[in-house]
Amino acid sequence: MKKLLGTLTLAAAVIAAPALAADYPTKKIDMIVPFSAGGGNDTFIRALQPLLEKRLGEDLVIRNIPGGGGAVGMSRAVSSRADGYTLLAASNAMLTLEAMGNVPFTHNDFDFIAKVVEEPYVVAVNSDGKYKDLKSLVDGATSDAPIRIGSSGVGSSAYITAKAVADITGANFNLIPYPGGSEAISAAMGNHVDAVVLGGSELRSALKSGRLKGVAMSYAERSDSLPDVPTFQEQGYDLTLTVWRGIAAPKGTPEAVEQKWVEAIKQIVAEGAYDKTARNLGTEVSPLYGEKLDEFIDHSAEVMSAAAGDLAK
Amino acid sequence: MERDLGKPLFDLVLLIASAAAFVHASALPNIDIVGDLSPAFFPQLISAAVFVLATPCFINDLREWRSAARGERTNGHRRAVVQWLLVVALTLGYTLVFERLGYIPSTAVFTFCCVVGFAVTSGGLSAQSVGGKVKALAAAALFAVVLASAVYYVFTELFDIPLPG
Amino acid sequence: MISGYLDGLEMVLQLGTLLAIAGGTLLGIIMGALPGLTSAMAIALLLPVTFGMPPVMGIGMLLGALCGAGASGSIPAILLNIPGTPSSVATTFDGFPMAQKGQAGRALGLSIVASFFGGVASMVILSLLAPPIAEFALRFGAAEYFSLSIFGLVIIASVAGKSLMKGLIAGLLGFFASTIGTDPITGVGRFTFDQLSLLTGINLLPALIGLFAVSQVLKDAFEYDPTARLKASEHRVDIARPRFLETLKHWRALMAGILSGSIVGPVPGAGGSIASLVAYDQARRFSKSPDKFGTGHAPGIVSVESANNALLGGALIPTLALGIPGEAATAVLLGGLMIQGITPGPMLFDNHDGTVYGIFLAYLVANAFMLLIMCLGIKVFIRVLMVPRKQLLASILVFCFIGVYGVDGDTFNLYLMLGFGVLGYFLNRYNFGTAPVILGLILGPIAESNLRRGLQAFQGDWTPFFTRPISLTFLIIALLLLVITIWQNHRARRPV
Repeated sequence: MKKLLGTLTLAAAVIAAPALAADYPTKKIDMIVPFSAGGGNDTFIRALQPLLEKRLGEDLVIRNIPGGGGAVGMSRAVSSRADGYTLLAASNAMLTLEAMGNVPFTHNDFDFIAKVVEEPYVVAVNSDGKYKDLKSLVDGATSDAPIRIGSSGVGSSAYITAKAVADITGANFNLIPYPGGSEAISAAMGNHVDAVVLGGSELRSALKSGRLKGVAMSYAERSDSLPDVPTFQEQGYDLTLTVWRGIAAPKGTPEAVEQKWVEAIKQIVAEGAYDKTARNLGTEVSPLYGEKLDEFIDHSAEVMSAAAGDLAK
Repeated sequence: MERDLGKPLFDLVLLIASAAAFVHASALPNIDIVGDLSPAFFPQLISAAVFVLATPCFINDLREWRSAARGERTNGHRRAVVQWLLVVALTLGYTLVFERLGYIPSTAVFTFCCVVGFAVTSGGLSAQSVGGKVKALAAAALFAVVLASAVYYVFTELFDIPLPG
Repeated sequence: MISGYLDGLEMVLQLGTLLAIAGGTLLGIIMGALPGLTSAMAIALLLPVTFGMPPVMGIGMLLGALCGAGASGSIPAILLNIPGTPSSVATTFDGFPMAQKGQAGRALGLSIVASFFGGVASMVILSLLAPPIAEFALRFGAAEYFSLSIFGLVIIASVAGKSLMKGLIAGLLGFFASTIGTDPITGVGRFTFDQLSLLTGINLLPALIGLFAVSQVLKDAFEYDPTARLKASEHRVDIARPRFLETLKHWRALMAGILSGSIVGPVPGAGGSIASLVAYDQARRFSKSPDKFGTGHAPGIVSVESANNALLGGALIPTLALGIPGEAATAVLLGGLMIQGITPGPMLFDNHDGTVYGIFLAYLVANAFMLLIMCLGIKVFIRVLMVPRKQLLASILVFCFIGVYGVDGDTFNLYLMLGFGVLGYFLNRYNFGTAPVILGLILGPIAESNLRRGLQAFQGDWTPFFTRPISLTFLIIALLLLVITIWQNHRARRPV
């Protein structure tokens, strides 16, 4: 592994020519998406791409490096030259990989530039099923007949959140991992599981079409995008978590570069240019920069590693 | 029937590999989930099945090999093996330098070596006069550089597919 | 509904929309023809371009890419024995032998027309039957997926080479390779050897390109003989033209392809890769001359290629009707739909503003453009075979590298590709075959994870696998096919 990382560092050093931070950017910027095309992370950044290019005045090259559930792309980003020409489309996945403990980096190896959008985790049930709300799910889960909860793969942030839900409600949930969100949703629609725990954007069309019904979500307060879905807090469970997506850079990226990006994103947010797209994707623009962002990331990392608990090796 | 030792040897490799995989799989940790077969269940099942199926293949192929007549190893055969090894070695080398040298240099060198390598092993190059040799080498070099640059341009610029710089 | 179609027609028949669809189709054809580059990548590349476009125009362009890539995967499969995507694996079975007989143009002509018919038929099915088919697909739970994968694994018997037993071994090797990586149920790392790139298992693409393209290059390198004169003149360009009548003559194979594509295609996560293999298997089983399959037999090409584009329409069914994409390409497409503010779901089909009908019609137009562009290009494609051997072999490897590296930028996969290439070379040489390995790799995870997921959901109870009707049906069909195969094998061996 070390050897591979060494090779990568060397390669990155050869690729990236030094440039003055002041007139950044002077050439194309690589944006690493640690997932394959079509995932939430990928769509998020591709939708943002034209807006960013306009404000930065340079092209973004989106590189999908999907190996290892995000691990390969992220470690590539960590070992890249911190000159602002290799950035990462970051999300919760980084924190869950860290919590699971089989990657050679932590969130401290990154400089977080901005959080751009977020969405809640949602517990959803089949609209025609016998469970109508969170309480009936929790009550229905007795020791001899556990409730089947579908989620995405073991170690994914949705899976860990599902585990956190099980822990905090004390219910006997049988967590069934699916390869991805869409497989879990189709299992819920077909009544092969009793409920799913997934990100709000993945669930968007299923909820909107009325096939599935949201029974709890993980924001602190109700959201405009899902006004009918009660929060965990108002149902008496102290669980607040969000799926966030944003932009991170390898540690040591020049301050000027970071400023340039923050300005660009602030501008996009102020103009409201991304609002509609974000809403269509089932997310909300909720920007966060600087120290507040660092605090937010640290807090999320703690929650994730606590929830991962005995899953982690 | 040509006498080919590789056939039973390949079966033997399968036998050994499946046995090794079986042993390795038995060391996998297990996490208790109600109703679940263990993570080791399928790897062990498959490697056992490969072992069982490969055994008769090995016996058959070995028998076939022993009864086959000893064929003459021709020059053509030797050349074929050299060409095969050449491609494997060049591809391995290409992979090693792919990111280090950058796309255009590594690809140009690889293509040049491939084309020239085939010309050498096939004797096509040595049969030519000095002038012809220079000409052939220059043509190969030109082909290599043009291919590498054109491919790089098309994929990075038109298709936005990132290649090492 | 008719007024909806008229509204949709108005949206499609605009110069900008038609140009966007044609452009998307052209890009799809180019990317699909290059080994490793996929329709998912073509769509992802176009995604940012669709902003600001009206929905039908933007989605039409993405559908063009989907359709073009679905058809053009057959080009390298036929000319060079290199399937660029799993779904064109079966194209190599008869396409390449036909090309080796000097009839590459005929093979391409058949495949283009079959793709077109497959695409159009699936569009009709999509527009008429999407909601009920989507409902049916929802009934697939763990038990049904498991049985479907068992049904698929029986196909190994059809694609195995001379020896059924060795074909089985090859399938098992693929199955074993699929267990590498994080265990889908417990999260335990299996055979990952601390290699980050292996955490999510072996990628299908490097395996596919290694097993087919690299192994073929190694074979060609082994057999490369400069003293044998180039047989370029044998590749007749004049026979390279679309073959409508000949394709229609093989209507049974065409139907097998369209039905398999439309029935298996909508099953999310399983359909895409195996529909064309199922089609090939069916066409062969119901043929009067099954022995001719694999030797450059026209129905082999027709069945596979019609399935290949029919499955795209099939895959659009759950994507549009449920918002559940079956594989990578439709997943990216779903992103495109959502950005446009189109929410997939049953309401999409009740929508009366014509958008959904515009999308259907755009897909139809994309198929027409695909046919047109491929027909114009067919004589150009053949010229690939006239590149001198030395240069061709080097260029193929160069393109393999781009395909594998371009998808995920990971050099590890290049080593993996080479490893599979060497393995594939020996598997072919010693009569194991490489197609079963791919089947094992694709179906293995579906079989294993769904069996275990089912057992987890049923609390360790095995009976639901045999009592659920769809599951039982697949198992019975699989058993029947297996018995028939063994019986046929037995009869073939008996001295006459």
